[in-house]
Amino acid sequence: MPVIIRYARLLALFIKIGLLRQMAYRFNFFMMVIGKVVRIGLLILFFQAIFLKVDRIGGWNYKEVLLLFATFHLVDYIMSITFQRNLAFHLPQRIRMGELDARMILPVNLLFMVSFEDIDMMDFFSFLPSLCFLGYVFYLLDFSFTLTQFFSYLLLLMNAVIFLFGVVLIIATVSFWTTQSYGLSRIFDNLLRICRYPLDIFEGFWKAVFIYLLPLVLVAQLPSQALLNIITPGALFFAFPVTGLFLGGALIFWKFGLKNYMSAST
Amino acid sequence: MKTIQVKNLSKTYWYYKKEAGLAGSIRALLKGKKEYVQAVRNVSFDLDVGEVVGFVGPNGAGKTTTLKMLSGILHPTEGKVAVMDFTPVRRDKDFLKRVSFISGQRNRLFWDLAAEEYFEFCRVVYEIPEAVFKDAKKRLVELAEIGGILNVPQRKLSFGQRKRCELVAGLLHDPRVIFLDEPTNAMDLINARKIREFIKKLGEGGKQTIILTSHNMSDIEQVCGRVIVINRGKIVFDGATRELQRMDGLKKQIKIVFNGPWSVDRIQKLGVIRQMNNSEIMIDVASDKVAAVASRLFTEYPVKDISIAEPKLEAVIEDIYARRIE
Repeated sequence: MPVIIRYARLLALFIKIGLLRQMAYRFNFFMMVIGKVVRIGLLILFFQAIFLKVDRIGGWNYKEVLLLFATFHLVDYIMSITFQRNLAFHLPQRIRMGELDARMILPVNLLFMVSFEDIDMMDFFSFLPSLCFLGYVFYLLDFSFTLTQFFSYLLLLMNAVIFLFGVVLIIATVSFWTTQSYGLSRIFDNLLRICRYPLDIFEGFWKAVFIYLLPLVLVAQLPSQALLNIITPGALFFAFPVTGLFLGGALIFWKFGLKNYMSAST
Repeated sequence: MKTIQVKNLSKTYWYYKKEAGLAGSIRALLKGKKEYVQAVRNVSFDLDVGEVVGFVGPNGAGKTTTLKMLSGILHPTEGKVAVMDFTPVRRDKDFLKRVSFISGQRNRLFWDLAAEEYFEFCRVVYEIPEAVFKDAKKRLVELAEIGGILNVPQRKLSFGQRKRCELVAGLLHDPRVIFLDEPTNAMDLINARKIREFIKKLGEGGKQTIILTSHNMSDIEQVCGRVIVINRGKIVFDGATRELQRMDGLKKQIKIVFNGPWSVDRIQKLGVIRQMNNSEIMIDVASDKVAAVASRLFTEYPVKDISIAEPKLEAVIEDIYARRIE
């Protein structure tokens, strides 16, 4: 069986299992979906309240900020549906408890397994209103973008997800030595929330940090700029190699971490 | 033909030493001291195709660590391992498709879902053709007697039922080498017997090489033809299970029933008293002195009956753990 079909089938199976697992606790499932939709609604209200007082934030108008916000949520949901919980929460626990053993003896790429085995279907159902919200923002923007701008947007969205996968994997891999990396994950989660706002609000040192050291501009700002056709060619050339660097570094670090896996005593 | 070849295998772990209490934790956080533990020391052995081998030792002896190195979970610190000519730590897909590691202490099934769902997962992961999967599942489900619980969520099953489901899940892909880590651990007598019978039937096929760790000597006596005893990371015995009971330095038990007066003080000089009552006594005697002692008993005492027993495997292993035999 071709590798890609085998892994697609596995992913489909993970989705099915995720759904079965969530449906086992139906009440919790519906409450969580409602909770997540309410959270987005409240944040939109928050932006509306701010724009009643100001016209622009960091040079971005209301509609542009909503695009940035919707884009961030799209990336955030893709991440939380797929790998974030698996790597940031489950992996350190599996390392600590020795539960990685059972995954290591399966004839499947271990990184694929530990990244996608628990597909969060709760977030998937919250993701659908988020997509509708993005459609609404496109409508507010009068769909005033070309097909090239739209494809650049999609490409940079994919790039953002891959970049975040690299960062989350680096943080999770630290658990091979510390057996817990929840603290680091929490710091990163909080940093990531900054991406809901235009990073142009930062000046000097912090701007340099979010562009060069931990390039959070890749997450929502660059895709949004591409759709709005305000992205510079330099930023486009910068985005993909930086993601490659983070992903490559993360994979090397992961292999090194695996070599240091000590399991847990029984 | 050798299935498993292990040469000079060693594994050293490290951890940060921490003193008890809050102050100790703070000191460890600020200035942790790395400690090293040599879990496995220079271990060497070979296993043939179809062998069922018991890997025995006290807690912390290095049994599970060795099994984990053989299955590719842990990287050895030193030494070489070959399983079916594969280097386990490379975790080649073809290697992983031919081995199984089943732990009696870890849960690998989906907690909220039924065993049937996990079996389906195994079918996809191991790329088992549909017809082969159906046959294997039918056969193993019957053998493990889990037909009635296939659709019950794992969290609703008893520990023993879950473990039998795990055994089936670990064997659906028809592995050539099976690592069983304490499969009857914490099980009631009935479930332990069912698991033991299951493994025994599996071993009788002669196709699979099975290496089994257990603290339950019944598992070893009834299932394994060969036993490897490991203590403090070193192999201290490797041979047929029945040979273990005939090791030099071991004591046999002589049970004597008297039909007349006898003296404890005099009997004490012949061997170590284990049990006694008015008319019976049981003494431990070194294997090479059994004939002489029995002869003296018959000539010097009013003996009604006498029986000589091989030492129990459990007692032999206890002796080895206590380092009375090395």
